[in-house]
Amino acid sequence: MRATMSLLRREFSAYFLSPIGYVVFAVFLAVTGHLFSLSVGLLTARGPKGLSYPMQLMVNDIAFWLVYLFIPPLLTMRLFAEERSTGTLEILLSAPLRDGQIVMSKFLACYGFYVLLWLPTLLYLPVLLDWQWWTWQSGIDPWPVVTTYFGLALAGAMFLSVGMLVSSLVKTQMVAALVTLFIGLLFILAGLWRPADMDTSGLAYQALYFFTVPLHFERNFSRGLIDTRNVVLYVSVTLFCLFLAVRSLESRRWR
Amino acid sequence: MIHVLNLTKYYGDYPAIQFVSFDVPAGKIVGFLGPNGAGKSTTMRILTGYLTATSGKATIAGLDVFWDSVEVRRRIGYMAENSPLYQEMRISEYLHYRAGIKGLYGAERKKRIGYVLDRCWITDVRRQIIGTLSRGYRQRVALADALLTSPPVLILDEPTAGLDPAQIRSTRGLIRELGQEHTILLSTHILSEVEMTCDSVIIINRGKVAVSSSLADLARKAGERARLVAVFDHAVESDAFLNLPGLTEVVPQALPDGALVRLSSPDMVDLAPKVCALAAQKGWRIRELRSERATLEDLFVQITGEV
Repeated sequence: MRATMSLLRREFSAYFLSPIGYVVFAVFLAVTGHLFSLSVGLLTARGPKGLSYPMQLMVNDIAFWLVYLFIPPLLTMRLFAEERSTGTLEILLSAPLRDGQIVMSKFLACYGFYVLLWLPTLLYLPVLLDWQWWTWQSGIDPWPVVTTYFGLALAGAMFLSVGMLVSSLVKTQMVAALVTLFIGLLFILAGLWRPADMDTSGLAYQALYFFTVPLHFERNFSRGLIDTRNVVLYVSVTLFCLFLAVRSLESRRWR
Repeated sequence: MIHVLNLTKYYGDYPAIQFVSFDVPAGKIVGFLGPNGAGKSTTMRILTGYLTATSGKATIAGLDVFWDSVEVRRRIGYMAENSPLYQEMRISEYLHYRAGIKGLYGAERKKRIGYVLDRCWITDVRRQIIGTLSRGYRQRVALADALLTSPPVLILDEPTAGLDPAQIRSTRGLIRELGQEHTILLSTHILSEVEMTCDSVIIINRGKVAVSSSLADLARKAGERARLVAVFDHAVESDAFLNLPGLTEVVPQALPDGALVRLSSPDMVDLAPKVCALAAQKGWRIRELRSERATLEDLFVQITGEV
């Protein structure tokens, strides 16, 4: 357990020793900050504008998903691919650690960084929720915010686990990032663009909806709904990818 | 301590090592010698659990390297080829992290880190970022890492490759000292290194063990092939040497300004005075008298069949 903590600490601090972590952080904060200011603009505008749900704009905007698409590849590409290309994987794997321990610590470290990315957005909540400081209550229903963060936590785990699996399979960071980006695109593309005249009750839309993450947020999480189909998708893909990453690391032993 | 039996590893169809068997007794320093691509690193990687053998069995301290991989790794200090390290960390941070994943904590961790820093002469650069270090320092950091838990077995893959002569000398000294507490298997393709640091040697060629013997035996073998070379200022009748007692072989060779004779005998010590006496008796003038020994290098070239 303490060995896992040592490994986790190194993996987490590695994000702060390379510029990539800072770049991701800065771009992410710029976009969420921009979306926050747009939300505030809508909330304070005259006339029947405004927002139906507090985080509606933040997670339904195309710009957000475009940026979100790039976060998992950038965070996960180095996890195994870098170690493999520099040869440090050999000394890591000759330390007395189990493969599962290594995969778990690497995953938790990059998940930790993902959580860290979202922490500053909590500062926006008092405004979005119309927080009443003197009664310590929110002016509007706070649950859509909770479900949004819940959805983001699970969807993030899914994207990161996919990225880590890819990283454990390839030798160079660039390839890992591109393949992860491509897989991520499959989950996000239909949220960015789909035929305008698509029949939302048709089979094609239903199929797209099943795995298109932005649609889950648009229709469920940002409205305060938790659809178990979405949750099952995220959790099962996460667990499956973690399992495969352990196998992929172990595969050196049966090749 | 290390026991290897019929270890075979195929990369696809290519056999990296085939039926490699050897033993490393506890407390010995064994040199693992072979030309590039002979399978030294592959064997070491199998022992450290990074790779697994296609067939065969290897045990370290009685534990199977495949079935008890984690336990075996606890008992090994491994220094990988080219000493890969995390470039962005400081030496002290790196060793702190490595101690953590090897199960050292608290005061013990601090003590061991201080000890290995000192032992590998890197105490005064411990705050430096590894990426900025020269090759020699990086090797020492890797060695320090291998020593962290004071494991009974050290496996060092080319510990002196890429060092300057002074560093090579000090590293060899260190390895000799470590040999008193640890069982060491070290690979190299530098022959003199084996002669200077190891107790015995395993020569591996094209994935097979060619020679496995103690250095003393090898020296004896080399001694059997020793010659006495006598150079004269003028031509001599080589038949005269045949009268000397105990001589087994005479090979004369004409030189532009004299003659050279190679003599061999089971008793090399007595041979030189006898040749001198013969020369005095015949009135020959000896320009040079030297003994020619077969070196480990000759043996190595002979075994590996490479020139």
